[in-house]
Amino acid sequence: MKAVNHKRLADILQEWSKGFKVVAPLKIDDNIRFKEWKEGSEVILNENSNIPPKEIFFPQTEEMYEYSIDKENVEIKEQVPTQEEFIVFGISPCDLKSLEMLDDLFLTKGFVDPYYKAKRDAAIIVAYLCDKPCRTCFCASMGINYQEAKGADIVIFKDGEELAFAAQSPKGEQLLGQVSPLLEEKELKLPAPEEFVLKADVEGLAEKLASMFEHSYWDTAYEKCLNCGACTYLCPTCHCFDINSHNRCKQGFKTRCWDTCMFADYTLMAGGHNPRPTRKERFRNRFLHKLQYFPERYEKTACVGCGRCIKKCPVNVDITAIIAQLKEVDLNG
Amino acid sequence: MRELVDKAKTIAKELLAKGEVDLVMGWEKGTFEDKTSPLFMRKPEDVDKLVINEFCFNSLAPYLLYYKNHQGKIALFVKGCDSRGVVRLIQDEQVKRDKIYLIGVPCTGMMELNHEGQLVDAAKCRGCTHPNPVLYDIILGEEVEAKSPGERFAAVEKETGSAREEVWKAWARNYDKCIRCYACQRICPACNCRECIFVDQGQEWIERRVDETENGAYSLIRAYHIAGRCVECGECERVCPVGLPIMKLNKKIAKDIEELFGPYEAGVDLEDKSPLGHFKYDDPEEFM
Amino acid sequence: MAEKNAASAVNPLLPITCEVVKIIDETPDVKTFHVTSANGKPFIPMPGQLAMVSLLDVGEAMFSITHQGENHLEFAIKRVGMLTDALHEIEVGQKIGVRGPYGNGFLFNDMMKGKDLLFIGGGIGLAPLRSLINYTIENRDDYGNLHIIYGARSPADLCFKDDLFENWPKQRNVQVDVTVDKGDENWKGNEGFVPAFLEQLNPSPEGKITITCGPPIMIKFVLQSLAKMNYKEENIVTTLEMRMKCGIGKCGRCNIGSCYVCLDGPVFTLEQLNKMPNEY
Repeated sequence: MKAVNHKRLADILQEWSKGFKVVAPLKIDDNIRFKEWKEGSEVILNENSNIPPKEIFFPQTEEMYEYSIDKENVEIKEQVPTQEEFIVFGISPCDLKSLEMLDDLFLTKGFVDPYYKAKRDAAIIVAYLCDKPCRTCFCASMGINYQEAKGADIVIFKDGEELAFAAQSPKGEQLLGQVSPLLEEKELKLPAPEEFVLKADVEGLAEKLASMFEHSYWDTAYEKCLNCGACTYLCPTCHCFDINSHNRCKQGFKTRCWDTCMFADYTLMAGGHNPRPTRKERFRNRFLHKLQYFPERYEKTACVGCGRCIKKCPVNVDITAIIAQLKEVDLNG
Repeated sequence: MRELVDKAKTIAKELLAKGEVDLVMGWEKGTFEDKTSPLFMRKPEDVDKLVINEFCFNSLAPYLLYYKNHQGKIALFVKGCDSRGVVRLIQDEQVKRDKIYLIGVPCTGMMELNHEGQLVDAAKCRGCTHPNPVLYDIILGEEVEAKSPGERFAAVEKETGSAREEVWKAWARNYDKCIRCYACQRICPACNCRECIFVDQGQEWIERRVDETENGAYSLIRAYHIAGRCVECGECERVCPVGLPIMKLNKKIAKDIEELFGPYEAGVDLEDKSPLGHFKYDDPEEFM
Repeated sequence: MAEKNAASAVNPLLPITCEVVKIIDETPDVKTFHVTSANGKPFIPMPGQLAMVSLLDVGEAMFSITHQGENHLEFAIKRVGMLTDALHEIEVGQKIGVRGPYGNGFLFNDMMKGKDLLFIGGGIGLAPLRSLINYTIENRDDYGNLHIIYGARSPADLCFKDDLFENWPKQRNVQVDVTVDKGDENWKGNEGFVPAFLEQLNPSPEGKITITCGPPIMIKFVLQSLAKMNYKEENIVTTLEMRMKCGIGKCGRCNIGSCYVCLDGPVFTLEQLNKMPNEY
């Protein structure tokens, strides 16, 4: 197995960054964010980034097109979504899985989103297998083995002081070839898998929820939720967006920005009607979307068990607890 | 604080059983031992879940805004800072005093896990001047001493004297991280506008795009809007998912207010008027 | 080694520049805009489909395409908010952005072919119905009798008066019945709400597909009336409105359960709607 001492990771990234932009989970003050790696950047592995790597493919703010308006004409100029090949380094198995859900959304059902697709197609994925689960992790419950990374071009894991590298695609082989002088052949193995503190059982849940829209469970479950957008913005599978103008004197550009079903104006229609007028409907939509609507539409639960929402919810709304409560609801009662 | 829980349960059960209130707001155990979550109790048996401990971070005061049209009376547990939030809501005529029943919790300070996994004094409690509820109908135990009241403005002392450019650079770096989830706004008892201009996009006061300018505008407008009304509970900073030092801004403004208008702490006294909310003939007016 | 990775040729989120060639004042708060592109037709919609119309500096919103002319598209737009306020201020010659068509339209299966069609519209709700009415008139032999029942608050609020009183009644096997909630001194026609008017006319459900669109409160009572008159839910069709941003099933907000109104709708049979969560 190809390996390098973990202290020499920067040398590998340095080498790769000669040919590619390398995006990695970097320490920025007290945050971990996927940003472009530069010499001296500190890479943090085995800990969830504050903001999931969805922001690489679907940035929180993205310019779509420019426009200018004069008396005679309106000119629309596309910000052509092209992207040179780049490396996404250090993505964890759960976040990698979330790209499958984003792919389903942005690339299927009749329309392809060109902004997402350009970046997705150009990404070479180097995944990092977690050393061990954090206490808020429950990816195993969402069908993810944190010791494998299907779909990644290269997979890395740590054994003691050594980082092991394995190519999983021709592109990965090529990339490893570039750094072969830095790598040594070593016998390395994955640590024994560890138990998770948190568990969630979604078996049969989507089917059950299909008959729970009007259930009294929702009448009180939402009560602690403040309808901030933290959980959705931190969620690697949440993908809602708004389209806005940045207008200055008849010139400007259109951006798309993350939006969230937690906000009242998300569904507020001109004229004042709102199909989801209170915290209850918005809370219910968030969980039904993850656990019923998305599975119905794309045959996947829109949760990868990364635990970011549990870690950062201001009032400790815990999706594993909600799943457990939903499983317990007696439909005949 | 944990020893107060039995008494707390007795009181809450009695209030519900006698029908004196139809809702009691407290805390229940959260995902982990060091987490709690707001608890809404409507039946005496709901009270079994109640906990009182050094992890009851959430102020329940902001929830009162959701029950403005509630018919019955609502009881809630309040620590010192929470009670100040309630006082502010009463002063802003968001809540009527006779519609709420306050169960005071003398607070010995919250505890949180640091990055090394050790339990330490919570950052938000540093410099707390009012660990005991300032307004209550019943109090659970003996009043406690404030631990570090002299450090009320510790967060801003360091920066005093720094070059303006340096300070702005640091804030610009912070605003670059902000994701505008509005957790700080939703959790704040001083943010009690019926409609927030930041949420109502139709007003176009601010764009949804996330950058230094828009984020800075949001943060600064919010800070100024709650000036003189911020009860310094530190909830905004605690819940920020990207760890912005929001309280630094609020403390700076609180300190400026003290320097301009004399000693003042928001939400400590029901009768006390905010220096920015009324006019006195001897107010400083160097700008006029 | 770095290769350019161009996206697909067509960007579904990018509007094309169109020109407003005609504006008709329908009512005090509804105008119909005739819109065309440089090549004479921005795109070819099916009846009931939608398009995103934008004033670039103000905003973008989804509207039903009320008619597809020889070389233009028509949008009937009611003044209800910031964008529509601004649209009502524009003049002929104004350039706007248009993208589409979106949604399933009325002809998503063959249910209407050869059938008698009953249209029940209220207020601006006639706008989406009009696209299908005109289509079935243009393809007259493919459909049976058309019966159009339409109501508005007052005579001044009646949309498409030329169609209601001139064009449609002249067509073969087309019946038009109009009512207003309250008439004025010049009104000689029917008075009363649409559901009551419908019950009074009492058209037989036999071999008929009903298409209804209007304000939610009207729809609610029309559906009750239709049920009373033994219309079956699989033969009743309606269109829904939701706030939309992308129009292509990505931005998330127009979902009703796992359906996206912009893709799977806006046209649904009552049978489909009754299986969906009541959240619209």
